[in-house]
Amino acid sequence: MKLTINEVAQCLRLPINTVERWIRQGRIPIQKTRNAYLFNEATLKKWAAMYRLPFSMPEKVKSRRYEEKFENLLPAMKRGGVLHDLNGDDVETALKSAVEHMAFLSKTSKKDLYQLLLERERLTSTGIGKGVAIPHPRDPLSDTLENPVISTCFLKKPIDFGALDDRPVFVIFILLSQSTKIHLHLLSRFSFCVRDNSFVKFLKTYPDEASFFTKIADFERQLDREET
Amino acid sequence: MRIFQSWRYPANWSIFRLDDRLLLILTAIIVGVCSGLASVVLNRLLMAMFNWFHPLRHYWWLFVLPAIGAALSSLFLEKIVKEGAGHGVPEVIYSVSRYGGLLRFRSSFSRLISSALTIGSGGSAGPEAPVVISGAAIGSNIAKYFSLNDRQRVTLVGCGAAGAISSIFNAPIAGMVFAIEVIIGEWKSVNIVPIAIASVMGTEVSRILQGNQIPFSHRLFHINHMDILACVGLAVLTAAASILLTRLLRSMDKIAKKVPAPLWIRASIGGCAVGLIGLFLPEVLGKGYHVVQTTIEGAFSQGLAIVGIATLAKIVATALTLGWGGSGGIFAPCLVIGSLAGLTYHHGLVLLWPSASWVNEGCFALLGMAGLISGMLQAPLTGIFLIVEITGGYEVILPLIIVSAITTSLCHYIEPAAYYMKDLVNYGHLLRPGTDARVLSDLNVSELIEKDCIAVSQNMLLRDFIDIVKKSHRNYFPVEDEETDHFMGIIHLDDIRQYLFNPVMYDTVFLGQIMNTKVEVVHPQDDLADVIQRMDANRLFSMPVLVNNKFIGLISKGTLLDQYRKELMVQTSQSI
Repeated sequence: MKLTINEVAQCLRLPINTVERWIRQGRIPIQKTRNAYLFNEATLKKWAAMYRLPFSMPEKVKSRRYEEKFENLLPAMKRGGVLHDLNGDDVETALKSAVEHMAFLSKTSKKDLYQLLLERERLTSTGIGKGVAIPHPRDPLSDTLENPVISTCFLKKPIDFGALDDRPVFVIFILLSQSTKIHLHLLSRFSFCVRDNSFVKFLKTYPDEASFFTKIADFERQLDREET
Repeated sequence: MRIFQSWRYPANWSIFRLDDRLLLILTAIIVGVCSGLASVVLNRLLMAMFNWFHPLRHYWWLFVLPAIGAALSSLFLEKIVKEGAGHGVPEVIYSVSRYGGLLRFRSSFSRLISSALTIGSGGSAGPEAPVVISGAAIGSNIAKYFSLNDRQRVTLVGCGAAGAISSIFNAPIAGMVFAIEVIIGEWKSVNIVPIAIASVMGTEVSRILQGNQIPFSHRLFHINHMDILACVGLAVLTAAASILLTRLLRSMDKIAKKVPAPLWIRASIGGCAVGLIGLFLPEVLGKGYHVVQTTIEGAFSQGLAIVGIATLAKIVATALTLGWGGSGGIFAPCLVIGSLAGLTYHHGLVLLWPSASWVNEGCFALLGMAGLISGMLQAPLTGIFLIVEITGGYEVILPLIIVSAITTSLCHYIEPAAYYMKDLVNYGHLLRPGTDARVLSDLNVSELIEKDCIAVSQNMLLRDFIDIVKKSHRNYFPVEDEETDHFMGIIHLDDIRQYLFNPVMYDTVFLGQIMNTKVEVVHPQDDLADVIQRMDANRLFSMPVLVNNKFIGLISKGTLLDQYRKELMVQTSQSI
């Protein structure tokens, strides 16, 4: 692939003026003829390594940016799925059966995840009030996940989750993400929904998957409107 | 047509794109030959003029001849080629440090003609600096023809200077060392190899055309330990002579500038004065190589007083010629003054200790030359190698090194900047590679601007501003006028943090009330060193950059460090 001089500047993370000046001063192995810049990409890479300057292709830069792009709740929730009538009498058994139902995890990672979730619950409860809990591991699962996942589990009967307002929890959203940043992003969007009492009321109707997703989509649209 | 075009733009020839070093060596050969030829031409011109005027020497009215020569040379420089007077070496150094060695094409011949007029008519100056600037300009223009980059052009400028000095003195090593020590100031193999080749070519050209002869040959000297000790005293004397010459040149320049007359009249006044001195002491006239030759041979028969006066007279004559607007270099006068000073010292020693057996007086003359060159240029290596080569006197190398070293350090102590560099240092134009000043002068403000600032208007409420804060990556927010987009002030998050958490103020405070209007601002063409100085003086971390009173970005120390480091890494690394 042939790089343009602009892309070289991007690779080196330098302003274009600097690269042009370096070419003029002969500090970089690029030659300028009357009508074109001549250079060899391999030589340029070697040169950058010799001077310990960062040099990476623009595609890489782009893909890194893609990773940083935040997803909304809906795709994560679709990946996680909605589960009804989850068994469990207390926190441990409820989480255990919830993790068991996550089809996208291998057996060992299910076990690990269960342990991580419990560890997190021991620090403080993830019951955020109004009968909702959002169990999640303390540290992001960067190696097992490619995309964030939110599993929605409606419990068969409300259980005591040690929540802030002491109300029994009837629905848990297990929130898994590959980086803290994404976790916080999803959490802030989710808390926007829960803050709205109509949403909680809607949850109490134990909606089916399709109508639940439409509701979430509605809320997200509202959220985006407010942000812009 | 295509063939024509390819001749027009040799940069596109594939042969030159094979390897940078090969290209540089090939062009260095061309530059070396051309600058060698330039110095041969000047030498021939001077010889011819000497022969024309020699039969007239005994006429008393001859003292006006240097005046006519100086006036003509000054008129030529001022009116025809429109270049400044003086010897031109500082211009070469300045262009090397600031403009990547760009020199005008006309510089390659203008100084040759003007200095031939000055020196040939009897002015006290040397032909070396003019050939240095000619060679340098030839190198620069050949680099331009091959569309080489700044780095390579600087090397070729050095090649030109080296070729010129090598050719005029028949001294390849001195040429090489002079180019690297004085002109380029950077000892790197990428420079040294082409410069060495250019020196060889320059010397070879002069040997083919003028024969291989050592300019100042002498008989063998036998040096005792006592003589080496006596060198220390000589070094003090030569240091004093070089300081005197430097100061006198400078003060003559100042006096001449106060005279309300055109340049060429000033030059002719200086020339007249030199001519008058020449009536009594003909030794001071011209480049004076015959004086050097006689002193080294020990054939200069006058006594201590006459020799001492001749030394002083030569210093004054040189200052008159160059300070009042004549054109020429200080190399040859330095050699003459040095040899006369050495002779004076020898006569003084003999007078004080008549019984001691000192080495031949020619040896002291030779050492004096090295002292003067090292002292004036503050370039000890150039002094040492030049004298060894032009006299062929390797047996005097030990006292030579001592005299050079001591004179250089004494002169450096009293005059921190060498004669060539003094003006450059005063104006901050001496930017040697790898120094802070060089890095800062290469970077410019427009390369450091961060553009991702969000501008706000002065009538915005604090509540709306908070939404903008959420989205921004920066702590600075420029405030612009809504209609004209002119910059009004800046809001720094640190300044308003206390209001941000007070909801009562959200709807009562306008940004116009909390912005900082007394801001130091930068313009893209500002000198970066000044910008940093202002940052330090005002303890700022960031400054807004304005164009036509409109905000275009922010310059901050964080980005500056990042860029500065990259620049330093690229400029100072040993390779390439």
